[in-house]
Order: sequence, then C-alpha cells, then structure tokens
Amino acid sequence: MKIQTTRFGQIILNDKQVIDMPHGMLGFSEHRRYVIIQNKKDSPFFWYQSLDDPDLAFVITRPYLFKPDYNPQIKEGLAHMAWHMDDTQFFKSLEIYVVVNIPRGAPGDMTGNFMGPLVVNPLCQQAVQVVLSEGGYSHKTRLFVQDKEKIQKIEKEVAV
Amino acid sequence: MLILTRKSGEQIAIGDDIVITFLEIKGTQVKVGIEAPRDVTIHRQEVYERVREENMAAAAMTAEALSLASEFYTQITSTKEKK
Repeated sequence: MKIQTTRFGQIILNDKQVIDMPHGMLGFSEHRRYVIIQNKKDSPFFWYQSLDDPDLAFVITRPYLFKPDYNPQIKEGLAHMAWHMDDTQFFKSLEIYVVVNIPRGAPGDMTGNFMGPLVVNPLCQQAVQVVLSEGGYSHKTRLFVQDKEKIQKIEKEVAV
Repeated sequence: MLILTRKSGEQIAIGDDIVITFLEIKGTQVKVGIEAPRDVTIHRQEVYERVREENMAAAAMTAEALSLASEFYTQITSTKEKK
C-alpha cells in the first residue's frame, strides 16, 4: 500500500507492517493505524507515523537503551485489549517504546514519556499506550544524564 | 455537572454496565471501586492528562529536530566509549 506523509513524502509499505491501535494514542483516539519507520540505519529513534493523518508522527525510542532498569507494570493497562496474556512468554514478545520530546535547539534536554509507554504486540500487530499510575515514572524522563557541560558542548558541535 | 451525595458502601450506576462503589471515605481520601466493560479505559485524571499533553507536544516534532537529536546521540555515545 502507498501512503502519503508530510515528513517523508510517499512511502510504500506492506500491509503486515500496519499497527492497529483500537484506542489510539492519548489525545488522538480517532487515529488508529500506524507504522514504525526507522529514522536512519543504526539510529535508536523511530517515527511512529499515522496512516490516517499524513501530518501526525511521533518520535519513539526503546526505553531500555537509556534506562536499562525500566520495569513498567503494564499488565493492568493491557486488560482492555483482547490479547491472550496467558504466559510469561507473551510478555517477553511485547515491544515497548516511549514517545520522545526534543526541545527546540536543545537535543541534550530531550525527554521520554516513561509514564505512558507504547506497547506493541507483534503477534497481532496491535498496540496500546499504557498509562502507568504506579512505579514513579515521569512523563518527562531525561534521556541523557551526562553532566551539563558535556551536553552543551556536544549541542554546540551538532548545531553547526 | 451532576452532583450526588453518597455514603461509604453506596454505589452509582452509569449506563447499563458501569458501577462505581464508594468503598471507604477517610478524611480527604476516597477509595473508589469501578466495574466497567473491558474495553472501557479508566485512568487517574491527572496522570492521563500528563501523558496526553506530552503526546500533544511530541506530535509537532519536525524531521530537522530528530536529525539533530540523532546526531547528538551519536556524538554523546561515541565520547562515552572513548573513555
């Protein structure tokens, strides 16, 4: 299938790549179909592009790359999905992403929404954004915890 | 807004399949039980709102902002390895 996007022009994708979100992303419940596009080779960032709105795309990343001890209790948040959550193998098969926010001109201050992880079930190509009320995870978790000086130095280098 | 007064242990029905039970009232805190169909999502409002607002802000991300961020990631992770 061919789809039109604002950021990447026309893209061609396989039907199997389409991810269905029965409840949408929070605040975007009318948009149900998405596709994950890698930003570029070896990049930890992906675009989560809506197929229903060419202009709607989120930047997502793998939380464990930045917080290896991230342990969201998602089970309760999946209760309204018609998924067969029968064994631990099932939970291992799930892919977890977080939505990223990048402040203008300050990539070093980018944050991940660790309070609202995006959970993808590759078995049925469905996804849901889970809201965690326990666990103490912030919706603005800093991805880079290096010291300020170093962050600012690299920000200057990449801005040129 | 409809305002009702309920005692501890009393319930409120919303439509045919949602029942809210006020389990315990202690000082300024209320413990509430909610029975609803599986496909109804229930969240603490302030947490829901934070995640929603964060989505709103993230949806406006430009391709340029991500290229810059990607480059930043490459740089900061490579300097880490050198040490």
